[in-house]
Amino acid sequence: MCGISGVVGLKNISELLFEGVRNLEYRGYDSCGVALMNKTRLIIKKDTGGVEEFYRKHNVLQLKSKIGIAHTRWATHGKVTQNNTHPFTSSDGNFAVVHNGIISNYRPLREQLKKEGFKFSSETDTEVLAHLLEKLYKRSRNVEKAFVKMLNLIEGTFSLAFISSYLPEQIFCAKRESPLMLGIGDEIKFVGSDFNAFLDHTKNAVILDDDEYAILSRDTYVVKSLLSKEEVTKPIIKIEWDSETSKKGGYPHYMLKEIYEQPQTVSNALDLEASGLDEIVDLFAKSRNSYFLGVGTTFYVAKYAKYVFSQLAQEFFPSVSSDEFMVLANVNKQSLVFALSQSGETFDTLSALKYAKSRGARTAAVVNVMGSSIARLVDKVVLQGSGPEICVISTKAALSQMVILTVLAMKLALKKKVITRKTYNQYLQALQELPEIIQGILNERSGFIHRLASKYSGSRNWLYLGRGVYYPIALEAALKMKEVAYIHAEGMPGGFLKHGTLAMIDDDVFSIVFVPPPEDKALYELTLNSIEEIRARSGFVLGIHFTEQGKNQDLYSEELILPKVHPLTAPLIQLVIGQLFAYFTATSLKRNIDKPRFLAKSVTVA
Amino acid sequence: MKAIILAAGEGTHLSPFSETRPISMIGVAGRTMLDNTFALLKSAGINDIFIVVGHRKDKLIERLQQQDHNGLNLHYVEQKRKLGIGHAVMQVKNKISPGEYFLLLYGDTLTAENIFSKVQQSFHSFKCPVASICLPPSNQMFGNVFLNARMEITKIVEKPKGNNLGNYVLSGVFILPASFFKLLESSGNSMEKALKKVVAGEGLRASMWEDEWLDVVYPWEILTANKMIMDSWQESSIAKTATLEANVTLQGIVHIKAGAIIKSGAVLEGPCCIGEGSYIGNNSLIRSYTSVGKNCSVGSGVELKNCVVMDNSQIGRLSFVGDSVLGENVDMGAGCMTVNRTVDWKPISVKNGKRPMGTGMKKLGAFLGDGVVVGAGNTLQPGTVVAPGKILPACYSVTQK
Repeated sequence: MCGISGVVGLKNISELLFEGVRNLEYRGYDSCGVALMNKTRLIIKKDTGGVEEFYRKHNVLQLKSKIGIAHTRWATHGKVTQNNTHPFTSSDGNFAVVHNGIISNYRPLREQLKKEGFKFSSETDTEVLAHLLEKLYKRSRNVEKAFVKMLNLIEGTFSLAFISSYLPEQIFCAKRESPLMLGIGDEIKFVGSDFNAFLDHTKNAVILDDDEYAILSRDTYVVKSLLSKEEVTKPIIKIEWDSETSKKGGYPHYMLKEIYEQPQTVSNALDLEASGLDEIVDLFAKSRNSYFLGVGTTFYVAKYAKYVFSQLAQEFFPSVSSDEFMVLANVNKQSLVFALSQSGETFDTLSALKYAKSRGARTAAVVNVMGSSIARLVDKVVLQGSGPEICVISTKAALSQMVILTVLAMKLALKKKVITRKTYNQYLQALQELPEIIQGILNERSGFIHRLASKYSGSRNWLYLGRGVYYPIALEAALKMKEVAYIHAEGMPGGFLKHGTLAMIDDDVFSIVFVPPPEDKALYELTLNSIEEIRARSGFVLGIHFTEQGKNQDLYSEELILPKVHPLTAPLIQLVIGQLFAYFTATSLKRNIDKPRFLAKSVTVA
Repeated sequence: MKAIILAAGEGTHLSPFSETRPISMIGVAGRTMLDNTFALLKSAGINDIFIVVGHRKDKLIERLQQQDHNGLNLHYVEQKRKLGIGHAVMQVKNKISPGEYFLLLYGDTLTAENIFSKVQQSFHSFKCPVASICLPPSNQMFGNVFLNARMEITKIVEKPKGNNLGNYVLSGVFILPASFFKLLESSGNSMEKALKKVVAGEGLRASMWEDEWLDVVYPWEILTANKMIMDSWQESSIAKTATLEANVTLQGIVHIKAGAIIKSGAVLEGPCCIGEGSYIGNNSLIRSYTSVGKNCSVGSGVELKNCVVMDNSQIGRLSFVGDSVLGENVDMGAGCMTVNRTVDWKPISVKNGKRPMGTGMKKLGAFLGDGVVVGAGNTLQPGTVVAPGKILPACYSVTQK
């Protein structure tokens, strides 16, 4: 079992050949070798060991060539030694052969060749091929004829390739039972034991059948039948392959990858340098008339911040959407304007910050992209360290910002002595448990959420309801649904229902309610009231809650029960559910997940 | 890369179709599940295929020898004793060289899109053992996995207990190294234990499969499988040698294969498929999600709807077959009806063996094994299962004195 790789192109192919043979290493890896061509002279390098080790040891990448074949071997005939490693050359050095399979009649062929004076340097079955080529070439002075003659002489299973100094721009190859395929590129051709050898460079493959041989040059190729000697028209198979897969780490979409990265990004957020956060807390403490600023998702993060600062630190800072900031906010030298942006390039937020600065206000921001315009503009910046967020729809960056803002609120509360050190530590403990809880939710609930989402993916209207801090969660979860699934989803406070919205309730309007844990008694009961109001009108309610199953059994049309958690982190966990619900709704509607229509990742225009 | 297809299992839940064939020989959407797998493997660039056969192996081998596999190298390996999946995998041990990776797949699972390309892509980027995982339609599945953000499987558990659970599960497609055989040996040929050892040792990466996926376990899931494949069709095809008489109506995506004859007045509502050499009588109505196999005869005025009719079967004139599966060589007399719902629209249960089993489906007809003869004028209760070879006498309202 071995791997064969070959490339012929317009420029130096050394690197491509290395990639190709490395990608075939799974087929065996006790020794490795290459044959390259310097003008019309063959250069052979081979040794025992793995592909990378061999390349490093012999500086193979330093050798430049427009054509080459390589081999990774798992010994079948002969020991693992440098001598037994492919490629094998003919005595005159004009042919270099790599081979996968077993030549069953190599012993008689070898004896015959020995008698004729050919010297063998190895114990392998493959070496006879090189000598045979030399011998047969001398008769006909035609490489192809010699090749065909040789193929007719050998028995057994093989896929093989060779290059020859007589035709220094062509690769010859053939197969019987062992696999071999061609990769067809523009001005470049590949041969490989399978398409792992070349698929990073072309998706067009020609699969050779038994007793076919092929001749490749950079601009053309021909496949012929060994039996009929005639050219065979082979279909080009388009290999289904998503070249982004490896960048997506095996995930089907960046959005899911980024949702799955949240345990890590939350941890990163909790590991941020305390001093940087303390400086921001000081700014909050000494400012009056402060604002949270964001737009789109970050506006909802700002709204969330408004609630946690009020709850924990007993401070009310309005949240303002960046695009409305200039007409709405009254900033002065006493103000702190605290902005949120993933990219740090958001045009509306940048303009609002510039305006605030021009009025003498202090500015600070949480951003994900280091060195971005907002990061450079503000007086104090927190880099959230969530790693690149590629999906247009923000998930991990938003959740991390929420965690950071929760920590800032806790710190301000502690500084103001609104909470004790003990309470602070309890809160911190709750946050530190968050990554593991999220990991558990992702692992154990995805399937359930997926089933719910598929079942209701036909719904065209959703109300997302929450009270208190669950209201911004409802807004943000609804925005996910709008962005990725293109479905109308309206986030609103639960209390709004009876002031108008309730009139809409019918069979076509579905509601999701973010129910607080029962320990949050007042908010919990108010939320249940909202649900009753919908249910009394025979409306559909999906409840996302933390109470045991069986309790309030008839309250929900569908329910998603979450494990008991600290009330501080409960809304953040529900946001993760909201993200997954939107994601699976979108996949069942076959939406363009990572690049939803009409949207762009960082909105840098007015 | 070599592929190993496990096709030896008995699939007893699939009675009355499993008695006479391996599961992978069940025909859906005009071809066997195995043919569907072959097509996907081929376009994933895999052409060396080892099939582990056992239960009803002759049927599989005979069938495959009759057809052209354009370039696929098929090899058969027999599992002589029914000793489970791990034991089946062990049968190919000597076909895989040390250090070599191979693609392993369960023959009773089905996808419309190319799961093999996907799992190879994951393998290509991770360069270590890979298991395809998916979110199944129910949480009663085995092989629930836990992942971390790097797609490493951290834990495999059997049916977990608790509310609202739903893990990703192993979807029966793996890329494993030859060393896996050693792990199997040391685990008493238990696939589950050996996989857990991979997780604990070298590591097992996940390849997330998001498209439709189905493990065909119960006979009514043949209909789900049929629909899944037909939903993936992009275009119609009508063989040159098919005959369509005047006033035949075709709507939607329709596949009509070589030598089929569609008589005047027939209406074909796609997606549907008429197999090689089959006959569709005058004024018959072939509704969506109908798959008619090779050499079948559908009499005049017959209505077919969401059903799978396997090769060489006949349906007599003025019959209705809906939400049903008919095996091979079924002979249904004239004027038969598979009733496909109850009067109160309650979900239909199927009595297959001793206990009735809920299907959750409100419309379901009958399941007739190979060679069943249904006499003329019979009306079959929803969810009826008829064992292969059984003869149901005709049902007359007036008889000779």
